[in-house]
Amino acid sequence: MGKVIRFQFTKGSEVRFLSHLDLLRTMERALRRAKLPMAYSEGFSPRPVMAFGFALPVGVLSEAEYGDFEFSEIFDPQEFMTIYNKHLPKGLKVVEAERLPEGASSLMKKINTAKYEVLLPNKEAKELESRWQFLRGQDTFFVQRETKRGVRELDILPFLYDVSLQGSRHDGVIIECVCALGNEGNLRIEELGALLNFNPKEVIITRTGQLIKMNNHYGLPMGNRGLKWKES
Amino acid sequence: MDKTIASLLPYVQKPGRYTNQELNAEHKDWKNTLIKVALAFPDIYDVGMGHLGYKILYSLINARKDSLAERVYLPWIDLLDLMEENQIPLTSLESGAKLTEFDLLGFTLQYELSYSNILKTLDLAGIPRYSTDRRETDPLVMAGGPCAFNAEPLADFFDFVVLGEGEEVLGEILDVVSSIKRQGGSREELLSKIAALDGIYVPRLYEPIYDENGDFSGLKSTGTNAPAQINKRVIKDLNKSHFPEEFIVPFVEVVHDRTMVEVMRGCTRGCRFCQAGMIYRPIRERKPEILEEQVSKLVKSTGYEEISLSSLSSGDYSHIKPLLENLISEYQGCGITVSLPSLRVDSFSMELAKEIQKARKTGLTFAPEAGTQRLRDVINKNVTESDLKEVVQGAFKAGWYSIKLYFMIGLPTETQDDLDGIIKLAHEVIAWGREFGTGRRLPQVSISVASFVPKPHTPFQWMGQESLDSLREKQKYLRDKLRHPGIRFSYPRVEESFLEAVFSRGDRRLGKVLEKAVDLGCRFDSWSDCLRFDLWEKAFEECGIDPHYYANRTRNFSESLPWSHLSAGLERDFLLDEWKKAIEASVTEDCRWDKCSNCGVCPNLGVKNEIVGDNRHG
Ligand code: SF4
Repeated sequence: MGKVIRFQFTKGSEVRFLSHLDLLRTMERALRRAKLPMAYSEGFSPRPVMAFGFALPVGVLSEAEYGDFEFSEIFDPQEFMTIYNKHLPKGLKVVEAERLPEGASSLMKKINTAKYEVLLPNKEAKELESRWQFLRGQDTFFVQRETKRGVRELDILPFLYDVSLQGSRHDGVIIECVCALGNEGNLRIEELGALLNFNPKEVIITRTGQLIKMNNHYGLPMGNRGLKWKES
Repeated sequence: MDKTIASLLPYVQKPGRYTNQELNAEHKDWKNTLIKVALAFPDIYDVGMGHLGYKILYSLINARKDSLAERVYLPWIDLLDLMEENQIPLTSLESGAKLTEFDLLGFTLQYELSYSNILKTLDLAGIPRYSTDRRETDPLVMAGGPCAFNAEPLADFFDFVVLGEGEEVLGEILDVVSSIKRQGGSREELLSKIAALDGIYVPRLYEPIYDENGDFSGLKSTGTNAPAQINKRVIKDLNKSHFPEEFIVPFVEVVHDRTMVEVMRGCTRGCRFCQAGMIYRPIRERKPEILEEQVSKLVKSTGYEEISLSSLSSGDYSHIKPLLENLISEYQGCGITVSLPSLRVDSFSMELAKEIQKARKTGLTFAPEAGTQRLRDVINKNVTESDLKEVVQGAFKAGWYSIKLYFMIGLPTETQDDLDGIIKLAHEVIAWGREFGTGRRLPQVSISVASFVPKPHTPFQWMGQESLDSLREKQKYLRDKLRHPGIRFSYPRVEESFLEAVFSRGDRRLGKVLEKAVDLGCRFDSWSDCLRFDLWEKAFEECGIDPHYYANRTRNFSESLPWSHLSAGLERDFLLDEWKKAIEASVTEDCRWDKCSNCGVCPNLGVKNEIVGDNRHG
């Protein structure tokens, strides 16, 4: 086992408006307060060695963010969790930690799927079901995607893997969406909104999973609790 | 009106500015705390959060059992517009309380171009702009900070103004509020008790007099507790004054987002254009062991990656070198850097720079302020040609490749030679860089040229600012002559400096212009892109007030000055002598090292320079 600890953390409503960079800065400062024996980068202004999963869109909550911290010595993951949690600001909390085997591949290399839970106010279950049926009958769904290199037409339908109803409330429905995340293919939150007819700014979205999709099953970035691939 | 700030946040830039769960933010029990103070910074969060004085007051108030302080910033334009549209009132960050629910609402006056934002804050909070229009339930609106030394343009809007350093007097104010709240008493009674404290100015107790030409000729007091002169408050011993052990750590990026300690207060170098150097006298240094302890507590409570040793001229702090060395050896290992906010132009500063920037050879900044030795003597900026040469060449030899130099145009007695001096120096720096540079990168020089603004309580307080056209012409001349791939030239808009000049030496008649400008849509004037000079011109015109009268007119030495009742302890004769010496290009020594130059501050206020060591450097 190596000196890297991989951990899962949650991002609550207190910190939902932090950008990815804000988050990194916050995590780094908490590390310094916690005085954990971190490995520092070489060079003139040494930084703790850390890596994170894919940036969470601003405004989205999460139950499943991941990070890797490299320590200067073998460090106990449970101890790390206890100490670090004391120094994190409200809204950030480590919920699981484990030591990574030497040479384990990076989070960014592995993660390719996201799971979101969306609370849609003023919507009914039937409305959603028929929208999902409609989408499944389509071959393509084109949107204009803005990137650094300009705007391009893109078919985003293949990036939405599954939508399922989690529950109905008097004020709306809760759905779960499984979609592509990462460099190989990625569904943006606005695009998810365009597919399912909601405005992401007006709903509460929680990322409930970052997964590794391999052929016909999903795995987690930590531990060995692979999920079953659900046929859709 | 069912929209809330929270529901608007997904629609604005950088919404993290408006959240309130930052580490170390104080959420005191609203119901069970007697005195509630809102500390308002008339700019956005990103700017206000970097301000050290504000952190000190926040922590000082919250340290009292009977009081709480909460932060208020003006929302950026996107949210501001949405709030106005939806009639959502401005609230404090911590409790989200309406500003009308506080006992005191304090504003810090850091720069003149923030004045429109003060009225904007009051408007958005639903508090009447004019102190005389406020209701029994409205908070007392107070102000402090450097611009309080000429509070006249804002006189109608504040219930009281605190002159000088706030740490002690704020405690006295809270004691008064506490006793009135416990015994019961009206807002008016409260104000009159506060007015009786030293260093407090209640503008409403005075009335301006104008002579037949419309010139200001003095103030007459209209009530009790209205002394003819208000002296600033000053902390005698900085070692005993309150300093926070925790800073709020913002989530979003803000200016000066780092651990800061104040190594000393005051500066006696005596630069004649510099208001801070005049109004913060005398020098009071903090003991190095206290500073080290403060740093250690802050590093622990914030986790910041940078420590800044702040003051007006930290290179002058008598223990600066050992302090730097200790901090560097203590914190370098855990990835924490140490920095100084500014560097003097001398070899000692280069030693310090090497110490702190072993790593980052990014850039060095110096402020010669003027292009020739003669003009530097006029402004008493103690920088010589040979110092500059030695320091810049040394920097290139040591591996730096980028040098930034600050200058001013429009200084008294400036001639063509002085402009050419700036140009010559810029080209020389490039040539030195070519000759002595050791890095692979080409030498870069950034020249930043501000337009001079005469400030009250300085030897240049009588002087008219140069006209807008002439300043523009000078900028153009410099721009043409500084076209060179290695030179970057930047300058603020002359309109900004002009408005600053109007308000810094204005009188009470400007209050209505400010009000008009805000009604026409002015706000965030210090943000170049937001400044609507056309609206300001319209406001002056509609009020029948000539801004040039304030900005460009050279005052008579016998004239009454609107700020003369607000005293920083300086003698008028000292300022006048300094003005005369300026014209003769004769310099005045720093009273820290040399003889007292009789500015008046020490005898008038019963204070003296407090230096912790005697090692002179530089
Ligand atoms: S009174 Fe003399 S010693 Fe004191 S600040 Fe003024 S010049 Fe310096």
